Amino acid sequence: MKKRLYLELENCIGCRSCLAACTQCGGHEERNRNYVYDVNPLVNRQTMPLMCLHCVNPACARSCPAQAIQIHETGAVLSALVEKCIGCQNCTIACPYGIPKFDTEQNLMYKCDLCIDRTKDGIPPMCASVCPSNTLQWLTDEEIEAKQKQFNLDNGKWVTSMPYLEGETNVRVNLPGILQGVTKLF
Amino acid sequence: MQTNTPLNKKSDSINNAFASKFAKSMFLTVSAIVVLSFIATRMFTHVDLNLYGYMVGTIVFIGGFFYRFIAWGERPPTKIFIKKGLKLLKRKSTPKTAVNHLAIYDFIKNRGLYRWIQHILIGWGCVLACLVTFPLVFGWMYFTMDDMGQYTIVLMGMDLMTVKADGIIAWFSYNALNISAVMVISGVCMALYRRLKNMQARAEQKFIYDFLPLYLLIFISVTGLLLTVQNVWLHGWMQPQMSLIHQFSVIVTLIYLPFGKLAHIPFRPVSVFARNYREHYAEQEEKKCKVCGDHFVSVEQSNDVIQVLGVNAIEFNMEDGFNLAELCLPCRRKYRISRFSGFATHQVKVKEANQNAKG
Ligand code: HEM
Ligand code: SF4
Ligand code: SF4
Ligand code: SF4
Repeated sequence: MKKRLYLELENCIGCRSCLAACTQCGGHEERNRNYVYDVNPLVNRQTMPLMCLHCVNPACARSCPAQAIQIHETGAVLSALVEKCIGCQNCTIACPYGIPKFDTEQNLMYKCDLCIDRTKDGIPPMCASVCPSNTLQWLTDEEIEAKQKQFNLDNGKWVTSMPYLEGETNVRVNLPGILQGVTKLF
Repeated sequence: MQTNTPLNKKSDSINNAFASKFAKSMFLTVSAIVVLSFIATRMFTHVDLNLYGYMVGTIVFIGGFFYRFIAWGERPPTKIFIKKGLKLLKRKSTPKTAVNHLAIYDFIKNRGLYRWIQHILIGWGCVLACLVTFPLVFGWMYFTMDDMGQYTIVLMGMDLMTVKADGIIAWFSYNALNISAVMVISGVCMALYRRLKNMQARAEQKFIYDFLPLYLLIFISVTGLLLTVQNVWLHGWMQPQMSLIHQFSVIVTLIYLPFGKLAHIPFRPVSVFARNYREHYAEQEEKKCKVCGDHFVSVEQSNDVIQVLGVNAIEFNMEDGFNLAELCLPCRRKYRISRFSGFATHQVKVKEANQNAKG
């Protein structure tokens, strides 16, 4: 059963568990590859996670001169191959969301690989496994569709992927609460 | 969508004489090898027929190599780096960068001492072996013994030097291949150990991509060493057979090289081009972030990336009038958050914080 990473952004409580979990994935060398942002830092405590959305036509991989960024058969856009990346940083400049990180000392780019050692076997990625607020979930397409029905607003404001993102993505993003005007009790 | 039209449509007769770039490169290289061998072997009078297999293997390898690398060089981003990199080769920092990137691999040391030692052993072991083997195979270098106890090393048909058969230089010359074999075997064992034990390395590895090259290198080194063992201790017992097996191992590796992990060897010099490119154009003019005003990349690279993405029909022009490529990375991330939330996060003058978890 193919599952996807699905984000319900406004559930985020800013605990940064996903950052800590990301450091523990195989191959991550204890460095996290995702982000958590304060939406309006001087006013309230709302936060949202930001991670690679695994674009169907990934700008990072298209701009890489070394073909160091491979696309896995599951659709995951992998981190740079350590022996291929030549350190040009094209990918960091190409990504519409500023996701790839670059280590100048190691002359190596590293980015979210959707925890490929786990997700290739259907195990949820680390960040989704630990998220306590259901912001990050690992769902089948049917389950995502059910969510879509549940949160249907009849006003087209179901924010998953197109046309609200820059391109088609493998990760699905949604913000039901904010768009419905429902105040959530955290 | 843009298409890549060739800039200079020269009707160059040499270029038109060949069906493709591939055919031309192939023809020129093979001719060069034949001519060099002709001169070096004093008109083919010193060809070692035992090494015939290597010759065929090398020719096949060159075919695969050109096929793979011409396809690679035609990709839009690769083409830019190769073209601009060649122009910038005259930079003062080139020799230093090249030594750093291609010979002593400082950046691998920063990934871990273990990985660095491992690569020094494998890389330099292989380079040493090639420096000895290829000249021998093509007859560019050979040994003659005119007087008893004195070897003459002949390089490109000229007498390079005469050494005592039991002297130190002679010892290193006979044993260069054994030394390199020991280096490669130790390095590959380190790599195998890491691939089996280290959870970080295990996460993304595949058999064909990660293990096959290691097994091939071991195969070459072990059969090579066995040749010496048979020679020294077994009076050459079964040596012709082993020699064939060894040849086979080398040929298979050469053929595999352009397609698997080992393809990084001929491609890595582009990392020097990339470093020059970044340094040179950063000195020229830097791009200012449209939101916070920070410099984050050279104007040249920014334009090149936008152009490359254009070739792939990717464009990030926003409704509010700017292109995502004009934002520095933190602002780009905040801009994404603002598009999710409807609140202009990127306009709040607070630096991003708390983004690096300690594992
Ligand atoms: C042009 C110079 C070379 C450069 C810049 C280079 C660079 C690299 C880099 C960056 C890695 C990844 C290492 C890591 O992060 O752990 C690597 C791996 C590797 N290199 Fe090279 N390399 C070069 C030449 C060679 C040569 C001549 C060989 C000999 C066959 C070789 C064989 C290997 C092997 C087998 C691996 C994989 C090791 C593993 O399984 O982890 N390299 N190389
Ligand atoms: S979000 Fe960025 S890093 Fe992730 S696949 Fe898309 S372009 Fe690449
Ligand atoms: S930094 Fe590495 S992964 Fe990124 S585009 Fe350059 S070579 Fe590719
Ligand atoms: S999917 Fe894995 S690699 Fe990507 S952000 Fe989550 S934990 Fe990190």
